[in-house]
Amino acid sequence: MVVDELNTLRDSVSGCQMVAFADLSAHMILVTDSKTSHPREVLDDLCDEAATLLGRRGVPALGETPSNTAVWATQASLRVFLRAPGEPNDVLCCVCAPNVNVGRLVAKASACLDRISNG
Amino acid sequence: MTDLSAIAEKIAALRADDDVYENGARVISQGGVPDGMAAFIDAIDGTVLERHLEIMTGSHIVTVVAAGRRLRGIVNVIPPKGKSARLVGEPLSRDDRRMLESVGTLLSDLFSPAPKLTIRNLPAEPFGKSGDRGVAASELARLWDVDLDAEPLPKVDRFLRSNSGLFTAHLHVNNGEVVATSGDAGTLQQIWEDQIDAFLTTQKKLSGHTDGPQLISLEGALDGKQSIALGLAGDDVLLMIYDSSGLGQMHASWQAIFS
Repeated sequence: MVVDELNTLRDSVSGCQMVAFADLSAHMILVTDSKTSHPREVLDDLCDEAATLLGRRGVPALGETPSNTAVWATQASLRVFLRAPGEPNDVLCCVCAPNVNVGRLVAKASACLDRISNG
Repeated sequence: MTDLSAIAEKIAALRADDDVYENGARVISQGGVPDGMAAFIDAIDGTVLERHLEIMTGSHIVTVVAAGRRLRGIVNVIPPKGKSARLVGEPLSRDDRRMLESVGTLLSDLFSPAPKLTIRNLPAEPFGKSGDRGVAASELARLWDVDLDAEPLPKVDRFLRSNSGLFTAHLHVNNGEVVATSGDAGTLQQIWEDQIDAFLTTQKKLSGHTDGPQLISLEGALDGKQSIALGLAGDDVLLMIYDSSGLGQMHASWQAIFS
């Protein structure tokens, strides 16, 4: 189940506070980890952030090519957005504490997204 | 400074209760303050009795042996880096300048980019011969050109310097004016001129936006799978092309410097 994968990812990375799986073509968060209970507006905002940073309709946010992995660090949070290589509209969104281990998070989130997208 | 006054200063420093500890290890450098090499030499200067000093960089654990405010040698570097395998276990002498240079380069490569340095003092184990006294901290500072009293650089400059090994190009803009570039910054100049205003306008409307420093990295956003990062800190804007293998280090460094 997708939610089990999201729960496993959230619990396996210290500082990871929320994991969600989105479909950018529908501009919608499809499922979140089971501990997340944010209202729809918050999830829509998160989806909007993913679309902005990863690029909309093939147009990159910055640069020449839409990115498959965006990391946004502020003093309040660190957000990671990952696009599935084979399914460009499948996106994993992670909201974390600012001091999360980014390398570890991205590695585990990529593996998680592979399993979801290929499952 | 006489030895007695130096020792008195050290004792006063040891009694100070403003040290920060993490998991039992003392934080000696955070976000490049003080400079990693200065923090290391200061730790050697504070070691009177023979001790193993275990310094953790986040990616490596470096163990050295020090005594009498002198560095006697490197005990171990885990995982190995550069010439570390050749330098581990070799007693240091002020007469062997090539060895000292190599050790200085290795330690600088390890300590200077580290977002944070922590240290543990451990009991000493046998190392070298009893006649090997090592090299005084003050002499190491001179040989390795480390200014122990240097004022910290501005945060943006510390970030750029700490991660210079990751950046193949950068563009630094302050108050709308390009103040520095490195590498092939033409692509970044183009992004600055054509894309940045629209991006920042959109990005400021996002719910996750907060005032204060921000670092955004976009993996593979340039042709040839090169990655770009955008740093925002007050009046400074940084654009960088970075090596993707250093994504975690770059963000850890930003967090350590700007948090």
